[in-house]
Amino acid sequence: MIAARGLTRSFGGRTVVENVSFEVGRSEIVALLGPNGAGKTTTMRMLAGLIAPTRGTVSISGIELSRGTGSDLRQRIGFLTEAPGLWDRLTVRENLTVYADLFGLSPAAPTIDQILDTFGLTKHAGTRAAELSKGTRQKVALGRALVHEPDVLLLDEPTSGLDPEVTRSVRHLLDERRAKGCAILLSTHNLQEAERQADRIAVLHRRLLALDTPARLRGRLMTGRIVIRIAGDASKWVGTIVPFGEPVQAEGAWLTITLTDAERATPLMVKALVTAGADVLEVRPEQPALEDIYLHLVGEHP
Amino acid sequence: MTRARILALARKEWLDLRRNPGALLPVALVAVLAILLPLVITFGIPRWTGDALGNDSDLLRLSDAAHPERGLSDSGRVEYFLLQQFLLLFLLTPITGAMALAAHSVVGEKQARTLEPLLATPVTTVELLVAKVLGCFWPTLGISLISILVYFAAILWLAETGVASAMLNPRTAVLVLLIGPAAGLVALQAAIVVSSRVNDARTAQQAGILLIVPLTGLLVAQFFGSYWLSTGMLAVIGVALLLLWLLLLALSTALFERETILTRWR
Repeated sequence: MIAARGLTRSFGGRTVVENVSFEVGRSEIVALLGPNGAGKTTTMRMLAGLIAPTRGTVSISGIELSRGTGSDLRQRIGFLTEAPGLWDRLTVRENLTVYADLFGLSPAAPTIDQILDTFGLTKHAGTRAAELSKGTRQKVALGRALVHEPDVLLLDEPTSGLDPEVTRSVRHLLDERRAKGCAILLSTHNLQEAERQADRIAVLHRRLLALDTPARLRGRLMTGRIVIRIAGDASKWVGTIVPFGEPVQAEGAWLTITLTDAERATPLMVKALVTAGADVLEVRPEQPALEDIYLHLVGEHP
Repeated sequence: MTRARILALARKEWLDLRRNPGALLPVALVAVLAILLPLVITFGIPRWTGDALGNDSDLLRLSDAAHPERGLSDSGRVEYFLLQQFLLLFLLTPITGAMALAAHSVVGEKQARTLEPLLATPVTTVELLVAKVLGCFWPTLGISLISILVYFAAILWLAETGVASAMLNPRTAVLVLLIGPAAGLVALQAAIVVSSRVNDARTAQQAGILLIVPLTGLLVAQFFGSYWLSTGMLAVIGVALLLLWLLLLALSTALFERETILTRWR
């Protein structure tokens, strides 16, 4: 649904985004991860048709974004900008109504009521934006991006400034949008959020360093270590598994061992433990945290 | 260009303005000045001094330039001349409005960071700029027209018999209904052109001075009897101003660089 091909953007002599290509399909959430200055906002702006790429193309549902198609394609995009950008003297309802009118929603009132209800904003409907807290402003901005029920959502830091309860409701809302076929690209610094919400994660640091599912990204840094949980003290079973690999560490109920060929050795090792009388409760490969993968990828491409 | 989007944005401008009535204060002050100054000069000073306008031979000679109606008394002829002259002051109301409001419109959006989400909607640059102009235009035009009605009511009350009806002529209509709004549109568009290129409202406000200077020159020159702008000449000026507005609209659309505004503004 969203297709970026060879996106490059330079400002003066400085290249901010270089040769970035990816796609976000229907009913898919892709998280754009990257440190500050990695080019996330610039990429988002190029996808929203706000700035033109120096090279490369953006397509939405197969239609290439250009000066001629920009207005029509923006009709299908909901864009949450980095700053909420609300009109301070207008009330929450008025802010949403102007956008509903700009997107040609008629009648707008039922949709706006629904958005206000979804985000718990009904009691703030008549409040001027200037009087809202940071989190509430962010909720209004998010509601504004959804007001026309777009096919494509581009969300720059959607949960920034939101409390955990609202963050969860936003997550549910995005899940609902995904279920309805929406293609969602969200940029975030929050690795947990990316992992929980996204089907795939794109790591951006000027160039696209990785684009894969969270599980596969983890696989890139697989250590070959296996973690085993045993009932009781695990240290007495160290001798049983030493022949399968080294080093072996025991801590409480946990044993950790590095296997050279985990696929072949793991069942044999578990069989040996069970035969020796150990009550094996859990066996799993040690997974690196997404943070480790992210730091590894970004660190490799400073 | 869709009318619905223009109306939605113009309504937003109007709501914004309604919550910030202080922004209209300069316009209201100019309107009050445009009403009081001619009334004080034409009716107040002669009454305080006891010296009737019709006794001043120089003023009588100058008033011939205005081609007053034959039935008017000498004082009525001079009153008609002065009150016609001062109509030009009412052109300052929409221009002042332009300076005060339009200058803030784009710069204000930039500073509040409200422009980026707006530009991410289907709204086109022309729609945005037309809406900005209209949003500022109607309130200032409204104040301008109300002040002219007050002016005419005062004339009806204070002037010599026949002056008020003589004032209701095609020349007045062209000035009030064509040149006033057209000058306002030109000033608004000029302020918006500058507003979208600079980073503070004051610089944009200075654009309005470009219009006030020739207008003041026109006023002074008429007072000294250098020339009298006939109805036909005023109509030509009005049409020229409307064409200039369209030209400025095209120019402001061409100069409105979405990218520069988004990427160089923090």
